[in-house]
Amino acid sequence: MKFTMLPRVLAQMVKKPFTNTFPRKYIPSSTTHYLADVQQKKTTMTPPVATPDRFRGKIQYDREKCTGCQLCLNVCPSEAIVFKPEEKKIKIYLARCTFCSQCNDICPVNCLSMSQEFLLAGTDKYSKDLIVE
Amino acid sequence: MTQPNQLTPEQIIQSFQDAFPANITDTRIEKRTNGVMKTEANFLWMTLDKSIFKEAVKHLFTFDAFPHFAVSSGYDLGDTIELIYHFSLYHGERARELSLNMKVALPKANPSIETITDLIPGALISEQEKQEMLGVKILGIPKDTRVFIADDIPSGVYPWRRDETGPAKLIRNLHEGDP
Amino acid sequence: MSTTGKTTYEIPIGPIHPALKEPVMFEFEIDGERIVDVNIRLGHVHRGIEWAGTRRNPIQILYLAERICGICSYCHPMSFALAVEHTASIQVPERADYLRVIHAELERICSHTLWAGVAAHEIGFDTVLYVTWQVREKGMDLIEYLTGNRITKGITMIGGVRRDITEEMIPKIKETLQYFKANVEKLRHIILDDKTFKLRCQNCGVLTKNDALRLCSVGPTARASGIRKDVRLDQPYFAYGDLDFDYITPDVLTGEVHGDVYDRIIVRLLEISQSIDLIEQCLDRMPQGAIVAEPKIAKLLENLKKVTGEGIGRMEAPRGEVFHYVKLTGNDAPYFWKVRAPTYNNILPWIPMLLGQQIADIPIVASSTDPCMSCTNRVTIIQDTSRHQLDKEQLHQLSIEKTRRLQT
Repeated sequence: MKFTMLPRVLAQMVKKPFTNTFPRKYIPSSTTHYLADVQQKKTTMTPPVATPDRFRGKIQYDREKCTGCQLCLNVCPSEAIVFKPEEKKIKIYLARCTFCSQCNDICPVNCLSMSQEFLLAGTDKYSKDLIVE
Repeated sequence: MTQPNQLTPEQIIQSFQDAFPANITDTRIEKRTNGVMKTEANFLWMTLDKSIFKEAVKHLFTFDAFPHFAVSSGYDLGDTIELIYHFSLYHGERARELSLNMKVALPKANPSIETITDLIPGALISEQEKQEMLGVKILGIPKDTRVFIADDIPSGVYPWRRDETGPAKLIRNLHEGDP
Repeated sequence: MSTTGKTTYEIPIGPIHPALKEPVMFEFEIDGERIVDVNIRLGHVHRGIEWAGTRRNPIQILYLAERICGICSYCHPMSFALAVEHTASIQVPERADYLRVIHAELERICSHTLWAGVAAHEIGFDTVLYVTWQVREKGMDLIEYLTGNRITKGITMIGGVRRDITEEMIPKIKETLQYFKANVEKLRHIILDDKTFKLRCQNCGVLTKNDALRLCSVGPTARASGIRKDVRLDQPYFAYGDLDFDYITPDVLTGEVHGDVYDRIIVRLLEISQSIDLIEQCLDRMPQGAIVAEPKIAKLLENLKKVTGEGIGRMEAPRGEVFHYVKLTGNDAPYFWKVRAPTYNNILPWIPMLLGQQIADIPIVASSTDPCMSCTNRVTIIQDTSRHQLDKEQLHQLSIEKTRRLQT
């Protein structure tokens, strides 16, 4: 049969597309205006596909529990964790983090965990929301 | 494709020792087991003298008509450069393959060794890599060009060496400018 | 290089090229439309990873190894873990062996469906590209559910795996496997029974058995030439020694072996079905128990610091045999680490495959060996004194035009 794809192509014309149209179906003429409208609830944004339970998103740090043992520094593959000796706490630079969660596994008091947040893009790699402490 | 006379690891080592008495040293056979049924995997290691290297590779063909050459590793030990050639024999049947690793030590004053591309053409890229990374001279190599390193890296710098010809001057630590 | 005199001219292709996913530099000598000689140069994405490995401890190297390649991001850290376990004589628990098999086969399914789409794209069938990548999305969703991320899975640990597959995860795995089974049959019909695929791919890019053995090719490229070479069966690692499967060569489906591009497509599509079957066998037989040999990671690092020795890790990646060699000398970081990705053994076979083919066949033949490489850019044709530039779209266009010509 010469055109084996043809039945499938014709069927697709009446089916819903597989792609999730996040954030919007067609590109807006001005991205900044669109984002401002979404903030003021004048228009809605299609949500992204839901992340599963144990997705490795932005790291969360519980300062109170941290004992300053420095084990997480040894295993971080990209040296994204810095120790603050005077406070005996750590500071994590998300610009270098590889989201591997190895620091979570080695921490003896479980003060580190991964959240579901992944929309972290920005223009300044040392801005406040990209440093966790 | 059963090869009628497949030898056991011990027989292979014995065959090498018979063919090259006194030039094969430091042999060992390691077995690793996996899974519930503890299937065995065999790894053979031997250290050869440089003078009989080419003959030893030819001797491999008496076991298997087409030995498989995976890669050759090499590192700098100070006065010598040690190359390890990783072969494997007896593919085609379940759980019968053996890994055979031959170590050759080359003196740093004259690190040269013969090519094996006339026996196993697939070894070309690995041999070119040893030439540019360690400064080993492969005698008789069919294509003497660089394979992984860019042309603008100066010749005489050997990235895997740990002495003064190493890459120390070429390294730029990009992260050192960060706050 | 120019041994054939003035009637031929040379084309350099690369370093970044449409059919490949990584930069490679070719220099072709062509006579009319036929290729007469080939010269290959590599090294354009050389990142000094082996050298970087000598300055990190084994746990950090696992994540470095993951980023050697995006599609084979599971095999490199696993081979490294196998090599370190060999050196330190760590015995992996049985449940971890089965879990490792499940993840390896999932990666194989996703990689082969991606490749099927890329091969169809090279011929000009973009619709098949979208269909195969849609099937692959379900696989990616499952991987994200099991490991936390789609590509850089982070599931490897020296001595086992980092996450278990619990009872509640199993229905989702079975549902995805059902989806795969239903769609792989349809994909096979679409790709293998299509007349244009057959016209384009049969007797194109032939690699004879003798050439494949002497050039030490690995993976589906070797198996399509009739060689029974598969590390999972030859030297079983993980739990493959317990499972029931066999080598896949083209005569399993068609009864004959030609060693051309069409045979390579057959081998890869059959391997997808084999992987689904292997995952089901694992889910049935997986024993209970620990998932890692040493759960306290700080203690594992301390133990590894005291080890001296060397070890080898070999694995069957979707593209062939991955080989890692590690030498530990009692320090924090290894003394030496050698990585050999399967594509490096599959590059030399390009030379006999491309001789005698047309320029428009270069994309499909090169991508039929599934080189683990990343794309785009220009081709320069030097024709005596005048220079023409062909960019990515034009070379791709040449390939599509040939398909149209064959269809009329």
